[in-house]
Amino acid sequence: MTDLLEVRDLRISFAPPGAAPIVPVDDVSFGVAAGEMVALVGESGCGKSLTGLAILRLLPRGAQLGPKSAIRFAGVDLATLSETTVRPYRGARIAMVFQDPMSSLNPVMRVGAQIVEAIQAHASVPFSTARARAIALLAEVGIADPADRVDAWPHQLSGGMRQRVMLAIALAGEPDVLIADEPTTALDVTVQAQILELLDTLRRTRQMAVLLITHDLGIVAGRADRVLVMYAGRIVESAPASTLFAAPQHPYTRGLFGSIPRLDGPVERLASIAGVVPPPGQWPSGCRFHPRCPLAVAACVATRPPLVADTAAHATACWVTAGSPT
Amino acid sequence: MTGTLRAGLVLGGGLVLLAIVGPWIAPDPLAQPDLITGTLQSPSATHWFGTDQYSRDVFARLAAGARASLGIAVGAVVVATLLGTLVGLIAGGARGAAAEALRRAIDLLLGLPRLVVLLVLLAAVGPLTPLSLALVLGATGWPAIARLVRGETLRLRETGFVGAARALGASPLRILRRDILPGAMAPALVAATLGIADAILLEAGLSFIGLGIQPPAPTWGGMILEARDHIASAPWLLLAPGLALVVATTAATLIGDALRHRLLPGTR
Repeated sequence: MTDLLEVRDLRISFAPPGAAPIVPVDDVSFGVAAGEMVALVGESGCGKSLTGLAILRLLPRGAQLGPKSAIRFAGVDLATLSETTVRPYRGARIAMVFQDPMSSLNPVMRVGAQIVEAIQAHASVPFSTARARAIALLAEVGIADPADRVDAWPHQLSGGMRQRVMLAIALAGEPDVLIADEPTTALDVTVQAQILELLDTLRRTRQMAVLLITHDLGIVAGRADRVLVMYAGRIVESAPASTLFAAPQHPYTRGLFGSIPRLDGPVERLASIAGVVPPPGQWPSGCRFHPRCPLAVAACVATRPPLVADTAAHATACWVTAGSPT
Repeated sequence: MTGTLRAGLVLGGGLVLLAIVGPWIAPDPLAQPDLITGTLQSPSATHWFGTDQYSRDVFARLAAGARASLGIAVGAVVVATLLGTLVGLIAGGARGAAAEALRRAIDLLLGLPRLVVLLVLLAAVGPLTPLSLALVLGATGWPAIARLVRGETLRLRETGFVGAARALGASPLRILRRDILPGAMAPALVAATLGIADAILLEAGLSFIGLGIQPPAPTWGGMILEARDHIASAPWLLLAPGLALVVATTAATLIGDALRHRLLPGTR
């Protein structure tokens, strides 16, 4: 399967005047194929959201892409485009939905008008056609009574419905890739499941590539095809979801699984990973996880472990566990 | 509808009615029918608000003055709001040196006392027609609106829905027009409504000191000027335009407050 979107050697740096440059994302490479759902998992501050923003060149002011960084989509390297030339890709080819559906909708516009806006931004269609498409999109994202809800104001909708509307807006440009940055974090747990179910359905029916950015390993299980685990700006483990959940290799991934409460088994104190994620700029040498790692050896401090594939699809960046049986 | 809004609409509506219907039912505001015995008559059935020192009907002049005063004030505020919104949007949406220059220009103009600028201007070019007076008042009133719209634009620019619009490929101009302008209009509309009161008083003040609309054309400020010499003998000459001014500014303030409560909840 060839990848529709391919990120190579992504490096994002900030150079504050008079201070050492900070590199919150370093050497990140991955691909997403059509119809595939890839989950990018990591703690706050690990660089996963920046990675998502970088794909659409939406990085905050002052952020710079590394010279070798490439973001290949449909034969074009988005990393080389200007603000104006990248704009046609946004929404029409690669769409993005954000964490907070409360603030992502304009409070002074009816939701239908916002979908129509998104449709007309990418194609010149008459208003009546666009409105009919908006209603169809609302139906597709599972909004009941779409013909009525199209005239609703954002404040009249629940959080889950607003996120559905955001998805409808994202779908308005018929994108090939959807980047969902923490799409369920602001929602109730039951609604989270519904939204993920919807994402899963949409990528299957539309053969859309989905990059799901999340801090929650639990929501990834059973839906994503592949999981990329990020720690301190780097990908530390990449594996098919089923393999990762059955046999996590990297000590960080194992630590994450250890901190998830289980329904079966005895009730005991949850295991946690000692220490905290260091902020960008204070990342240690070698393997960035080594100060918190129970298995760390001398090599971990000295040299950075490469991301090596131990089986065809499972790659781990660890001197100790890579390739070794769990 | 709140009591504030209702009271404002009743008062304002009454004045608008006076401005529209008044001149049809009242006699000619410029006619001086009887300069011998008809001057300074107290209110009566024929002359509802009495007559002035030239035997002109005060009600007729009040109604004609309402047309001039309200028309100039509303015109001034429309000009100020359009200009202010445009400049504010650009100042808030642009980045770099241009945005900084606009911000400083707005601050500089806000720092100049409006009345002094108007006095200098009118002293230089002389009396103006009602239309040009409205334009001049608008041209000196926009910086206040521009500052509000700029601030609101800066706030809205950082909101999630603007970020989402950017992620979906909207151009900066489109974002300004479709996503920011509607939200930034709310404080501008409130300020504009409240600004009507300012404009009415400013026009009256200019006419009172003889720099606004010139006699014999009736305006409220001009009527107060002419009534000065007869305060003791004919107080209705002063009371009629004075009360009209109070009612007009009160109405604009009440409506503006009610709008603020509706459009900008959480502010006081």
